[in-house]
Amino acid sequence: MPRETAPSLNEKLFFQKALEENLRIDGRAFDQFRALELEFGDEYGVADVRLGKTRIHTHISAQVTAPLPEKPFDGLFTLTTELSPMASPAFEVSRPTPTELLLSRLLEKTIRRSQALDTESLCLLAGQKVWAVRADVHVLSHDGNLVDAASIAVIAALQHFRRPDVSVEGESVVVFGLEEREPVPLSMLHFPLCVTFSFYDLGGGAGEEEGEMRVLIDATSSEEMLRDGGCTVGMNRHGEVCQIAKLGGVPVDAVVLLNCIAVAGQKVREISDFVKGRLESDRKKRDKGGWMEELRAENDRVS
Amino acid sequence: MAPSSTQQILLSPAELSYIHTSLSLSPPIRPDARTASQFRPLVAETDILPSTNGSARICFADGTEAIVGIKAEVEKSRPIYQQNVEELDLSAGAADDEDEDDEVGNGVKGLNEWVELSVEIPGFRDDDSMPVFLSAMLSEALLADGDFTKRLWINRRFHWKLYLDILLLSQPLSYPLPLLSLTTHLALLSTRLPKLKSELDEDPLFDDDWDASEFLYPRAVGKARTRPPVTLLVMAVQENIIFDPSKEELAVAEVVLAVSIGEMSPPSGGGSMEVDSGKGERDLRLLAIRTIDPPSRLTHSGVPNTLNTATGGSAAGTSEQNSSQRESVVEEGVWQPPRGGAKRKLIAAMISKVLERGGVAEEVLDGLDAVELG
Amino acid sequence: MPLDTSSYSLALLRLDGRRWNELRRLTAQISTQASADGSSYLEMGNTKVICTVSGPSEQKAAGSDRGERDKAGVRVEISVAGFSGVERKRRGRNDKRINEMATTISSAFQTNLFTNLFPHSTITLSLHLLSSDGSVLAALLNASTLALIDAGIPMKDYICACTAGSTSSYSSNDESADPLLDLNAQEELELPFLTVATLGGSDSVSVLVMETKVQVGRLEGMLAVGVDGCKQVREVLDEVVRERGSRILEGTKL
Repeated sequence: MPRETAPSLNEKLFFQKALEENLRIDGRAFDQFRALELEFGDEYGVADVRLGKTRIHTHISAQVTAPLPEKPFDGLFTLTTELSPMASPAFEVSRPTPTELLLSRLLEKTIRRSQALDTESLCLLAGQKVWAVRADVHVLSHDGNLVDAASIAVIAALQHFRRPDVSVEGESVVVFGLEEREPVPLSMLHFPLCVTFSFYDLGGGAGEEEGEMRVLIDATSSEEMLRDGGCTVGMNRHGEVCQIAKLGGVPVDAVVLLNCIAVAGQKVREISDFVKGRLESDRKKRDKGGWMEELRAENDRVS
Repeated sequence: MAPSSTQQILLSPAELSYIHTSLSLSPPIRPDARTASQFRPLVAETDILPSTNGSARICFADGTEAIVGIKAEVEKSRPIYQQNVEELDLSAGAADDEDEDDEVGNGVKGLNEWVELSVEIPGFRDDDSMPVFLSAMLSEALLADGDFTKRLWINRRFHWKLYLDILLLSQPLSYPLPLLSLTTHLALLSTRLPKLKSELDEDPLFDDDWDASEFLYPRAVGKARTRPPVTLLVMAVQENIIFDPSKEELAVAEVVLAVSIGEMSPPSGGGSMEVDSGKGERDLRLLAIRTIDPPSRLTHSGVPNTLNTATGGSAAGTSEQNSSQRESVVEEGVWQPPRGGAKRKLIAAMISKVLERGGVAEEVLDGLDAVELG
Repeated sequence: MPLDTSSYSLALLRLDGRRWNELRRLTAQISTQASADGSSYLEMGNTKVICTVSGPSEQKAAGSDRGERDKAGVRVEISVAGFSGVERKRRGRNDKRINEMATTISSAFQTNLFTNLFPHSTITLSLHLLSSDGSVLAALLNASTLALIDAGIPMKDYICACTAGSTSSYSSNDESADPLLDLNAQEELELPFLTVATLGGSDSVSVLVMETKVQVGRLEGMLAVGVDGCKQVREVLDEVVRERGSRILEGTKL
């Protein structure tokens, strides 16, 4: 199994020394994200997020299927994540790594379990026909902080996606093509995003006293490999925490954690505004045509 | 032949030979000074999990531990039309002339698929041969008499589906079959099903009161009872038959048998007469026998002095010569893995030793009876 | 919603008769299994867990995922018994939720144990969930702590865990919501809750997992109650260890 090359001792010491002097290797502030880029594809529901060198491509698709027997009124929403060897040589196709497990679980918890997508609105005919929405997350390049980037990509793609319009008459469902009728956006209840913190314990280690703690946001992959613990907070812009996952690692004072959550709230608002702006400009770009002008009112309500 | 435990014990040929020699003495001398038919002490408790219908835990002296939890769910029976018609006639007729007991007895049918048994062993995947064989052997003994599934009959449309989950909590040090079997036995004895309130073929309705529930194996005092099967491991070294072998003893066994025994209630007519004749009377039945591949076959043989250059012997030139020469030399105290099968006489002796009156099976069942049931 | 939260505000008693800051009955035993290097049995209410530790032992060839040579690896296997829930259900080994819990426990103890004392080796924790009634992750963590103590593997301090919730579901913006300690399965279904594990009696949080939506303002109260609960758990675990220790000293029963 190819393994990611662990940072050498020199790199490790250099990094620690820098942290002690309140510096990051790439010169960012501790609570600063890398440059965030968001692009939408020509198709609806395709989003491409770049966070520094991390790049994630998300594709949303929808089709009509039968609902689960235990939930006849709910549509289906599945999130699949794929870490291909393209992203990093440490990933193999058929072998789930802990990174992949955590990525898919955290996205699941943040976006699916918190009911970001209103699955009830995806129901066409109770017990017979519902929309199955599928989000495929492809990691194209891995340079740390996959979870945050993936959550931005999924949330942006979900907002960008338009599903074909349908009409239900009695028992028959007619799905209109994209040319026949203007496709409709998905109904979203809120827009949760993840912010991941990395903890570095600078204490002497053996000493009894509490070591000094450094908290970084948006760690690169080498920073992630050196961290002593991490914590991912999923929040929406209304200050609702959707999930917290501090899965082991170095113990952190409860007050520090609460602080992190406050910071996360602020970051989520910033990123949400950014995503909103991008969606807006994408809509304007698509809106150029004259006949589209007539549908403006509907689109306004949507975004 | 069932596979042997995969955990190979690391004993040298000299050690194996020592154990083998001492076990083939008459009477055999076992490493822990037990007699040939003596069992190691065990710790057992039942009804440990409130969320199950029946549960048990057994801890053997060597530290291996198992838990069995049994859960029952009501399931709709698949209709079998032809049989149904026949039975309808029969039971209708029976209801007219005979008493209730017989009526129930006539309609009752059980299917093997009503029982699902799964064995989990740490370090093994579900589809590895070891768990699969163990669960096959355990369910074989349980279903052998064809009577067991009848207990799960509710009415013509519904039945209980019984899930037996058998967990080995420790590493499989010795062959875990007897441990799992004894634990399953106790769990089945402690299994209770809610009392049925509805009648005949209505949708089943049960009594909420757990105190009113009925045991899967009814425990009427003084009445002859049927008991769930137990599977015991018996091994032989030369003519000596040894019970409850430890892992070291298994490593030198020549024959290993897994013997499943059930206890029947005698035919209902004679039952009342025999009650007085003493509690020790058990009607034991042999349900299943499996030979188990003794791990001793996989051990390496020792090298006798005549074939060892270090002791002045002459080693064979090729490995083929070596093995053929090794065959012809029988030397006392040099380990030679057992070859060939078991003699029929020996197997017969092993079985009768288990089943005979006052024999091992009775002792085990008496011991399990003494476990206080919840 | 089936859970009647209205009765809570009247009597300030929960469905099982506890007050908001009461733990369920927490009992534990250590050294339950002779063949393991360390073992424990722990009950938190009706949640029952068995943990056995084997190791530190030689690293399994190539199988260990973390290739750190100068430290021991902590491997965690969780098996959820088919009969543990209300309905019988068999879970495969690939269940992501269970694997996530295993990763969490492994990572928590990786930093808490002095793994640098056992280079080239693996410590294997094997956890069995026999009966589940809420606070599963907390029970698994507590049982692991006890079993590792029994195995004599040096650690910085106990990792003690419990759950904390908040009354009234997330949809209502009820400001007067009370925090609750140690939720059972029924409460976990209805209420927002988090699992918190702290290091010994300190406020240092080793594990914090929340999977439900909650207003950020409530979090502080929940976390405070959780951390406080962990201190109570620590007392109980410590008592178990001390009792066992004194019995060994007396030589009465090993």
